[in-house]
Amino acid sequence: MPDIVPRRRILLASATTLPLLLATAGCRSSDVFAGPDPLAGRPPLGHNVLTLQAVIAAEENLIRLYQGAINGDSRTATREPQQARSRMLRPLLAQHEQHLAQLRARLIEPPGQTDYTTGPTASAAASPGPARVTTAQLRAAERASAGDLVQRLATMEPALAQLFASIAASDATHATALAAKGLG
Amino acid sequence: MAVTTVTGVEGTVPALQAALAAENAAIFGYGVAGAHLTGSGLAAAEQDWTRHNEARDTLAAMIRRLGAAPAATRAFYQLPFRVHDAASAMALAAYLEDGVTKAYLGLVAVSDERVRRFGALAMQGTAQRAAFWRGSTQAFPGLSVP
Repeated sequence: MPDIVPRRRILLASATTLPLLLATAGCRSSDVFAGPDPLAGRPPLGHNVLTLQAVIAAEENLIRLYQGAINGDSRTATREPQQARSRMLRPLLAQHEQHLAQLRARLIEPPGQTDYTTGPTASAAASPGPARVTTAQLRAAERASAGDLVQRLATMEPALAQLFASIAASDATHATALAAKGLG
Repeated sequence: MAVTTVTGVEGTVPALQAALAAENAAIFGYGVAGAHLTGSGLAAAEQDWTRHNEARDTLAAMIRRLGAAPAATRAFYQLPFRVHDAASAMALAAYLEDGVTKAYLGLVAVSDERVRRFGALAMQGTAQRAAFWRGSTQAFPGLSVP
């Protein structure tokens, strides 16, 4: 126990005086250490991370749209067409939730960045949402998502590019399914 | 799901050849499936057979442009199960489309951006046809996700 206090003092002194010594010596910490500069703040996020964040946000928006459509239908649940539409939309929503889970699983961010592992979709589900989401809006959103993912995959590393391409293909099948059913 | 970028013409040609082989298998398979379908099912199978023929020609041209010879089609392809009625014919069509989708996903891993985009767009068509024959959509067409 007695020798812990001096060691702490030494460590504290090192932490406070090292930058001062470096500054007076006219050099930055990056000149001393070969690795990342610990005093330069967080390194910028890489292209893959930024793209993944954008794709995750888009997938969350799509999920919110489906939740809004299904919640809106449940408010008019006595009408058969709305019930039929909700029955059709739920499996598609479940697949979007699978997309989101896979995308989040691939997102590795440095500590302190925005936490994408907890779902803002939960709070969105509780909110009243837009007046009524039409099937045409969902179809347009699916098409836009598929197009956006194909645009983005060119510069991604192969495994992520393949995930994007697969999700884009899934979105394209959703758009076709929504068109085929013809439910307002 | 460890995938490495397939770089250069040397990597792109095998991926294109794999897609071509899948298209050739689909063309053969649709011939078998069509024999057990009637009405709108037969019309859809004929339409899809035509699309696979067009895709085969496109892939063969892409391979030639890269200075390679397109692999020849085989006389016979082993079917994954016995096709004896409309239901098994539709299941075969879905199976064939899944196979082509996987092959196009292989193109998405090459370094050439145009080939990547071509593969990604092509697999949207095959995934849609698979969904039609299966009667349901999939979360990850062409991809093995745990």
